[in-house]
Amino acid sequence: MIYSLILTTLMFGAMFSVLTVSLNLQYARGGMINFGTVAYFAAGAYAYAIVTQEPPSGLDQYALGLNAPWWIGFIAAGIAAMVFAVITGWPTLRLRGEYLALTTFAFAEVFHSILLNERRIGNGSVGMANVERPDPAVLGLDDTLAYTAAACVLMLLTAWVFHRLLASPYGRLVDATHNDEIAAESVGKNTARVRLQIFVISAIPIGFAGALYAMITTLVAPALFTAEVTFFVWIALALGGERTILGAILGTMALVFFQEAVRMIPFETVRSAQIAASVEEVITGILFIIVLRWQPWDRLARKATT
Amino acid sequence: MTFRKTMTAAVALSTALATTQPAWAADGVTFGVLVPLTGELGEFGKIVADAVQLGVDEINAAGGTKCGPVSIAVADTGGSAEQAIREANKMIDSEGVVAILGPASGEMVALVDLAKRKKTPMMSPYAGTITLNEIGGDYVYRTVSSDLGDGAASGLWLTEKGYKSVAFLVQNEESTISPAQVAKEAVEAAGIELTDFIVYNPGQPSYQAELISVLSHNPDAIYLAGGQESGVTVLKEAAAGGFEGEWLLTADLAVPEVFETLDPRILNDRAYVEIAEADSSLPEFKAFSQLTMDKTGKAPGPFAANSYDMAMLSAIALEAADACTGEALNAKLRGVTEGGEKVSTFAAAKEAIAAGTDVDYEGASGPLTLDESGTPAGAYMVKKATDGAWVDETFYPASAFE
Repeated sequence: MIYSLILTTLMFGAMFSVLTVSLNLQYARGGMINFGTVAYFAAGAYAYAIVTQEPPSGLDQYALGLNAPWWIGFIAAGIAAMVFAVITGWPTLRLRGEYLALTTFAFAEVFHSILLNERRIGNGSVGMANVERPDPAVLGLDDTLAYTAAACVLMLLTAWVFHRLLASPYGRLVDATHNDEIAAESVGKNTARVRLQIFVISAIPIGFAGALYAMITTLVAPALFTAEVTFFVWIALALGGERTILGAILGTMALVFFQEAVRMIPFETVRSAQIAASVEEVITGILFIIVLRWQPWDRLARKATT
Repeated sequence: MTFRKTMTAAVALSTALATTQPAWAADGVTFGVLVPLTGELGEFGKIVADAVQLGVDEINAAGGTKCGPVSIAVADTGGSAEQAIREANKMIDSEGVVAILGPASGEMVALVDLAKRKKTPMMSPYAGTITLNEIGGDYVYRTVSSDLGDGAASGLWLTEKGYKSVAFLVQNEESTISPAQVAKEAVEAAGIELTDFIVYNPGQPSYQAELISVLSHNPDAIYLAGGQESGVTVLKEAAAGGFEGEWLLTADLAVPEVFETLDPRILNDRAYVEIAEADSSLPEFKAFSQLTMDKTGKAPGPFAANSYDMAMLSAIALEAADACTGEALNAKLRGVTEGGEKVSTFAAAKEAIAAGTDVDYEGASGPLTLDESGTPAGAYMVKKATDGAWVDETFYPASAFE
C-alpha cells in the first residue's frame, strides 16, 4: 500500500512538478502571471496524440492522425507548446499583473472551447482514446515504475536546465527585467524580448509533460484539461513557496501526496467512499490554510538552499 | 552543491523503489468497485456499487468462490479518467483486486491499456461508448450493449410513435452524441421532419439560446440526450418557453430524482425515457427485483441488474478458472456466457462447475453472450412519466433490431 502511494505520488507529483517549476520560472523569476498553464499542457498532449494516432476510421471525427512513433510525438509536443507560447505570448506580454493573468486565462478557455467544439482536431468531447505509448516491458521494466521514472527524469531535467539558466548571466538579466525593468532597459537590454523568451522556454517542458500525461492516461479529451489543472499548479506553487525550484517541487509533491493519502484507505462500503470523497476536499482546504499560515515547506526549502 | 545533492537523493529514492515489491495477504478475493460517486454520474455510481454488493452477498451466502469469500473495495472516480487510472492502479497494486467493476464510458476507455497490462479484467454495466466496440474484448467487458443500440431503440420508438416532426437536443459528449447520430438516421430514413439537430455544451446556467430555434419550429417531440444537470434545466426552460409537445429522454435522465427537481407536470404523461434494460418478464429479472426489494425496500434502479450480473459473471468465471488471478478469470469470462448448461444463480453455476459441466450464465439483465468486443446484445425499455415515476411503456428485445 505504501509502495503504491509513493509510486503514484512520485509519478503524478513529478509530472505536475514540471508545470510548477515552469510556472515558477515565469512568475517568480520572470514576473509574469500565467493563468493559462493548462493550455500549454493540453497543446503538448494533443500534439502527441495527433502525431502518434492512427488515421481516422469508422466513427472517428478527427481529421488527422499521423501514426508516427512515440518519440516524434514527444518532440512535437514540445514544439506545439512552444509555438502556442509564441502565439499567445507575443501579443499579450506587454500586459502586466492581473491584466496578463486575465488574458492568459481567457486564452486557455478559448483553446479549451476550440478543442471541445472543433471535432476535426481531436474528436471534440469524445477525445482521442487508446493513445500510443512506448511499452517498457520490451526492456523488461515494470510499467508503472518506468513511467514514474520517466516523470522523475523529465522533472529533474527541467529543474536542472532552469537552474543552470538562472545561475548564468542570462538569469541575472531575467532578474533585472523582473526587479527593475527601466534600469535594465537603460543599459540597453531588450526586456520585452527577454520576457517572451522566458515565456516560451518555460512552455516547452509543459508540452513534454503533456505528452507524458497522454501516455499515462492513454486518453486526451477536453475534460482532462480544465482550469482545475491551472489552479492545482498555482496552489502547489503557493504551498511550496515561490522563487526556489525545490520549493515548487516539494509543494507539488505534498499536494499530490495529500490527495493520495486521503484516498489510500480501502473502503468496503459505498457510504464510506462517498464520505471520503467529500472529506478529501475539506482536508485539502484545511491543509492549505495551515501551510499558508506556517509555510513549513517554504522554510524547509530555504534551509536547504542556505 | 545543495541542488546536486537533492537531485541525487531523488534519483536514489526512485531506484530504491524499483527493488521494493508490494505484498498483500491472500485471504479470499477482492473485486474493485470503481464508480463515479460524485459528479454528474454520482447517482448511477451508488446504484452500481449497491447492486454489486448485493451480488457479492449472494455469492458469499452460497459459500463464496473456490478462491474464498468475495469482498469489495470501493473507490470514487469523480467522473475523471485520470482519477480512475490512479484508483485502478492502487486497487490492483495495493489491494490485489482480481477484477475492476463499474467504470463509466470515459474512464473505461482510459483503463483499456491498464487492464491488459496488469492482466486485470475491467467490466462496466453502463459504458455504452462506441470506442469500446473497437478496442474492447480481451480484459475489457461490459454487461450493457453499445450506445449504437440505444440510438437504434430511440429511432425505432420515434418512428413507431408516429410523430411528424422531431427536434434533437444533444449534449456535447460521446455517450450522447453517438446514439443521437444513430437515432437521427432512423428518423430521417422514416421520412420524419427533423426540425433541428443542436449539440450543446453542458455546464451552462441557461440553454435558452439553444431552445429559441427548437421552440420556434414547434416540433411534435424533442429528443433530449442530456446529462442530469443540463437535462433538467433544458426541460424547465422549454416548459417556461411554452413547449407543449412530448419528450424522449435518454438514460441519464431515467433516475427518480428527476421528479424531485422538476415540476412533475412538465413530465407527466408526455415524457418518455429510453434505457437499456432487462426484460422484466424474465424469471431471472423477477428474482433479482424481488431480492432488491427484500434487501433495500426499493425497486432496482437503472443498470442495477447489469451491475449485479457483473459481480455474478466475475465470480462464476473465477469458479471455473484454474487460478485465483485476473488472468485466469479473463480466460474463462467469455466461456461462461455461452454454450453450456443455462444457469441463473451463482449457487447453480457453482454446482454445475463442480460437476464438470460447462455453464452459460443468463443473468438478471438477460442473456449475456459476449461478442468479440466483450459486449452483449441489448434489450431496451421505453418508460413513460406517470404520476411522478417512470413506468414501463414499450419493451424492445434484442431481436427487434435484427
